Amino acid sequence: MAALPPPGLPAAPQPVAEASQPVISAALTNAKVLVKSDFRGARIVLYGAVFDPAARPSDVVVLVRGPEQPIRITRKQKALGLWLNSRPVVFRGAPGFYRAASNRPLDDIAHFGELRRLGAGLDHLGINAPAEERTETRYGVRDVVVSSLGADYYQWRNAVVRLKEKARLYDEDDHGVSFVDRGLFRAEIALPAQAPTGVYRADILLFQQGRLVSARARTLTVEKVGLERALYLWAHERPWSYGLASMAFALAAGWAASAAFRRD
Amino acid sequence: MDIYLPIAEVAVNAPLIVALGALVGFISGLFGIGGGFLMTPLLVVFGIPAPVAVASMANHVAGSSMSSVIAYGRRRAVDFRMGGVLAAGGVVGAVAGVELFRLLRLLGQADLVVSLSYLLFLSVIGGLMLTESVGAILRRRRGQPPPPRRDRRPVWLYGLPLKMRFPRSRLYISVIPPLVLGAFVGVLSAIMGVGGGFVLVPAMVYILRMPAGMVVGTSLMQIIITTALTGVLQAGRNQTVDIVLASLLLVGGVVGAQLGARASSRFRAEELRAILAFIVLLVGLRMGLGLFLTPDEPFILMSGTG
Repeated sequence: MAALPPPGLPAAPQPVAEASQPVISAALTNAKVLVKSDFRGARIVLYGAVFDPAARPSDVVVLVRGPEQPIRITRKQKALGLWLNSRPVVFRGAPGFYRAASNRPLDDIAHFGELRRLGAGLDHLGINAPAEERTETRYGVRDVVVSSLGADYYQWRNAVVRLKEKARLYDEDDHGVSFVDRGLFRAEIALPAQAPTGVYRADILLFQQGRLVSARARTLTVEKVGLERALYLWAHERPWSYGLASMAFALAAGWAASAAFRRD
Repeated sequence: MDIYLPIAEVAVNAPLIVALGALVGFISGLFGIGGGFLMTPLLVVFGIPAPVAVASMANHVAGSSMSSVIAYGRRRAVDFRMGGVLAAGGVVGAVAGVELFRLLRLLGQADLVVSLSYLLFLSVIGGLMLTESVGAILRRRRGQPPPPRRDRRPVWLYGLPLKMRFPRSRLYISVIPPLVLGAFVGVLSAIMGVGGGFVLVPAMVYILRMPAGMVVGTSLMQIIITTALTGVLQAGRNQTVDIVLASLLLVGGVVGAQLGARASSRFRAEELRAILAFIVLLVGLRMGLGLFLTPDEPFILMSGTG
């Protein structure tokens, strides 16, 4: 699944800027993360530079999003003295992995509206539960989006982020970007072993005086290789032969162990 | 020494998983149960996604049961005919159970049914077995004779049609009770992700009145057939069998099962039943506790989109 450009960001590379315009540029030190049997996570290092003849104060935000994965979440509710699961709610638009790294807190870099438009930061991640939404006319305004979760909506949304943070899949790092020299910055993104495989998108954003002035996008691929990849493909493309073979292997191992123990 | 699991997509500590397989394999060989009711919750604790744990566990249970059933077969402690009848019912039950489980997952109530099944079956069976076996142990300690075996044969067991001879178990009964029992265990195995030995062993003793020496080996035979089918169905329909995880568990499991099957001859049958009853009761209560305690985190992420 390809990472879709988040709403609000320019999809195509920016046109060549005017000489006086500030421009950001960045590169990943390794654009391909290989998942092998000894994979225990990876560190992705990104280097970049801010070109600004006027040398205005600059802020850099790096957003890394993994492939989109719909989320099903349920809430335990007390009924008849028992804690039971509620009907599950499906959230769409959630990346399988999300990191927002910046050189200082996002709230100091830009205003609420700007962050919301860019989906920058865990509070502004563009996830929603479309199956729970309907549009109605309220106070004479047509097509107002109303969620059937009502006032609890934000509790549900926050729970998604909280649980993903706990699984180390979502994070926000106020000091994830550091300027190593004038105009030269470095960002480090930790990828845990449970991060999903697929195409990741890194958006490198330059802010000046609270406004987005330049952006760059880079892609990163996390893929299984070798035996891991062969087994994964086998299990998904020929599931029945995979199932039969793994069961045959299990039964043969059981038989072999009993034969081995008989001799001694 | 961590190893990455290609289907579960998490890294686990390999020696720890092998040790876990050996422990559960030992219990499996000792008591003639698959051990799934222990293994599934433990794997989830180690961070394996629940659907992968349930599916891969089937491979481990089939493998370690295979390892110990051969040991029992050599001691002529397997009633192959009874095992075949039970397994025929089990196959029907397992297929029906897999469909039922899909339906429950769609309704979002799979967790509730799993917790309730664990609480209900494990605590009822554990409680009954514990009472019976502790009674038997106490009677023996006091030197009392065992209570006279009720020879009045239950009508529903002997009066039903389709009678069949089971020479090894010295029974001549209708095939309907074992078929129904097998089907019931098959449904449970699909829903709870277990082999169903903890239901089968007491049912064979108390309902079918099979000789105690035949029960364990025959139950293992039924478990192999049911879990082998469940494992292949899970891989084919849900793609949730992790062969690397299953292999790690197997390495420990097959060895543990051999040691368990050997150790079992050193204990008295009622003592073994008392220990098994205690373990079953403990797991059942632990799993059911979640229904009554206020959760720390009321929200739960569920895997897949159903």
